[in-house]
Amino acid sequence: MFATYLIGLREGLEATLVVSILVAFLVKSQRRDRLPQVWAGVGLAVVLSVVFGSLIQYTSTSLLRTSESREFFEAVTSVAAVVFVTWMIFWMRKAARSIAGELRGKLTEALAVGSLAVAGMAFLAVVREGLETALIFYAAAESVAGGTGAGSLLALIGGIVTAVVIGFGLYRSALKINLSRFFTWTGALLILVAAGILKYGVHDFQEAGVLPGLNNQAFDISATLDPNAWYGALLAGMFNITAAPTVLELIAWVAYAVPVLVLFLRKPAQPAKPATPATPAESVRPAAESTAPAESTAPAERPQPAAAAPSPRA
Amino acid sequence: MRTTRFVAPAAAGLLAVAGLAGCGGDGDADATAGGPIAVKATDSACEVGSTAIDAGQVTFKVTNSGSKVNEFYVYAAGDRVMGEVENIAPGLSRELRVELPAGTYETACKPGMSGRGIRGALKVSGTAASVAPDAALTEATASYQRYVRSQTAALLTKTEEFVAAVKANDVAKAKALYPVARTYWERIEPVAESFGDLDPKIDGREEVVEEGMEFTGFHRIEKDLWTTGDVSKDGPIADRLLVDVKAIVAKADAEKLTPLQLANGAKALLDEVASGKITGEEERYSHTDLWDFNANLEGSKAAVAALRPALEQRAPDLVKQLDSEFANVEVALGKHRAGDGWKLHTQLSKTDLKELSDSINALAEPVSKIAAAVAR
Repeated sequence: MFATYLIGLREGLEATLVVSILVAFLVKSQRRDRLPQVWAGVGLAVVLSVVFGSLIQYTSTSLLRTSESREFFEAVTSVAAVVFVTWMIFWMRKAARSIAGELRGKLTEALAVGSLAVAGMAFLAVVREGLETALIFYAAAESVAGGTGAGSLLALIGGIVTAVVIGFGLYRSALKINLSRFFTWTGALLILVAAGILKYGVHDFQEAGVLPGLNNQAFDISATLDPNAWYGALLAGMFNITAAPTVLELIAWVAYAVPVLVLFLRKPAQPAKPATPATPAESVRPAAESTAPAESTAPAERPQPAAAAPSPRA
Repeated sequence: MRTTRFVAPAAAGLLAVAGLAGCGGDGDADATAGGPIAVKATDSACEVGSTAIDAGQVTFKVTNSGSKVNEFYVYAAGDRVMGEVENIAPGLSRELRVELPAGTYETACKPGMSGRGIRGALKVSGTAASVAPDAALTEATASYQRYVRSQTAALLTKTEEFVAAVKANDVAKAKALYPVARTYWERIEPVAESFGDLDPKIDGREEVVEEGMEFTGFHRIEKDLWTTGDVSKDGPIADRLLVDVKAIVAKADAEKLTPLQLANGAKALLDEVASGKITGEEERYSHTDLWDFNANLEGSKAAVAALRPALEQRAPDLVKQLDSEFANVEVALGKHRAGDGWKLHTQLSKTDLKELSDSINALAEPVSKIAAAVAR
C-alpha cells in the first residue's frame, strides 16, 4: 500500500509544485484576479485526463493508446511546460528587480500577465502527468471492482492529497517571506523544477524513440537513492531527480539549469543571493561546454542553508 | 509585448499536442487472438503468458502481485524500447499496447523500478495475419480438445474421491489420492490457467495470501495433510475445491485452443517443470513434485502430438528433434520411478536434479520453435 501511496505522491507533486508557486506568485503580486484562470487551466487538464483515460481504458479508441504515443504526448507537454515556466522565472526576476529598484508601485504593471499564459501554464503542469495518473486510477478502480478491497485506490488518493498538502504548505510559507526574497527563492526553486521537467521530457523522447541513447546511463545510484523509498519519490516528484539518468538527460539538465541560474542571479536584487540548493543526485557535473556564459556570479554574501525544498510537515 | 515571443513556441507545442489528439479514433482491433497476453509480475518473477506471438497490435495485461511497484517493458535489439508501462502498483493490472513487427524481442519486468529487470525472450513471427486455417491445424485443435475432455473427466472423478476422503478425515487415503488427482490437473494446466482467478483458487500456493486472496485449494489441503496431519476442519475448503474444479472443467471442455495456443501451452508446461517442479517449490509439503513433473511432460507431449500432422508437413526435422528430446527426458525421469508412482523430491540428489533440469532445457529448445513453424 505504501508503494501505491508513493506513486500518488510523486505524480501529484509533479503538478502541485508548479501550480502552488504560480498561485503564490499571483497572490504576492496582487493579481488574485488571475486565480480563476489558474483553476480553469487545472480543471481543464483534470477533465481531459479523466475523459481520455476512460476512453483508453474502456473503449477501443486508438488515440494515445499505444505507450509510444503517450510517451510522446508527455514529452511534448513537458517541453511546452518548460517554456512556460522559464518565462515565468524571468518574469519573477523582473519583479525582483523592480522591487530592488524601489519601484513597488510599478510592480503590477511590470507583471501584466496574460490570462492565457497563466491558464496555459497551470494546464500544462497538470496535464503532463494527468493522463498517466488517471490511468493508474482506473487500474486501481478495477482492482476494487475485482474484489481486492479499496486499499490501492485509497492509498493513491492519499498520496495525491499529501502532494496537495505539501503544495499548500509551500504556498503558505512562500507568502510569509518578504517579497524580494520570495522572488529570488521561488525563482531558483522553479529553475530546478523546470530543469527536472526538461530532463523528464528528454527521457520520454528517448523512450518514444525520437532521441537516442536511452541505455547510455550517466551513473546509477539506485543503491543509495532507492526509487521505492519516500525520499526517492519526493525527489523524483519535485525535481525529477532520479537514480539512473541517461547522459542526454543529464546534459539537458545542466545545459538548462546552469545558464538559467546564472542569468537569473546576475545583477541580483539587494538581499542575499541564495546559494544554489544542493541537489545531491546531480552533483556529478560533466564539463558542459558552450553553455556557461563568460560572466561569473559573485559569491553569495550570506550563504543560507538550502531550504528550497519544503519539508513535508503534513 | 515581449512576452509573445515566449508564448509562440509554447502555443506551437500545444498545437502539436492537439494535432496528436486529432488523429486516431476507432478502428484497429487487437490482432492478438484470444485477448491480451497475461503477464504475472512479482518481486522476483515475470511470467509472460505467451512468448511466441503473431505480429501486429499486441496487448499485454500486466498484473503485479508483488509488494514493489513494477514496470513492464518490451525491448527490441539493443534495448530499444518498443513499449512500456510504468507505475504498476502492487495488486493492480495495467495494459500495454504496442505494435510489434516480426522479430525477436525481450520482455522485462522491473520490480522496484530500477535495474535491467527480469528479462524474457519474446518471439514475434509472421505478418499481422493470423495462422491460415489449414486442415491439419484444424484437426490439431479438435484432437487436443478431445484430450482435454478426457483429462477433465478424470480430474473431476479423482477430485471427488479426494474431497470425500478429506471430509471423512481419512488422512492416509487422501494422501494417496492427492498426487493422482493433481496429475490430471497438471496435464492440462495451460488451459486451466487461461481462466483467471480460478487457477490460484485451485492451485495457489501459500503466497496468494500476499495478493489479498484466501489460501485455498489443493495446496491448502496438502499443507494440512503433511504438516499437522489434521484435516478435520478442512471440510469447507474441500467443498470449495470441488466447486472450483467443476467450474474449471465446464470452462475447459468448452475451450477451443488455437494451434498457436497449443504450441505455447506445450512450452508453458515445460517452463512449469523448470520453475516449479525441479525446484520442489510446488509440492513443498508432500514433495510429490515428480508426479507433477511427469504430468506436465505428458500434457506437453499431448499438445505436440495434436500438432504432429501439421508439423510433419511444415518442419519434419523439428519433429525428429522433438521425438528424441522427449525420449531423453522420459529416460531421465524414468530412473526415479518408485512402484506405481515416483520418488519424493527430497530423495533426489543435486546431480539427479541437474540431470532432469538439463534434459528439460534441451527439450524446451525445439518445443519453443513449434509456434513459429505453426505460424508459417
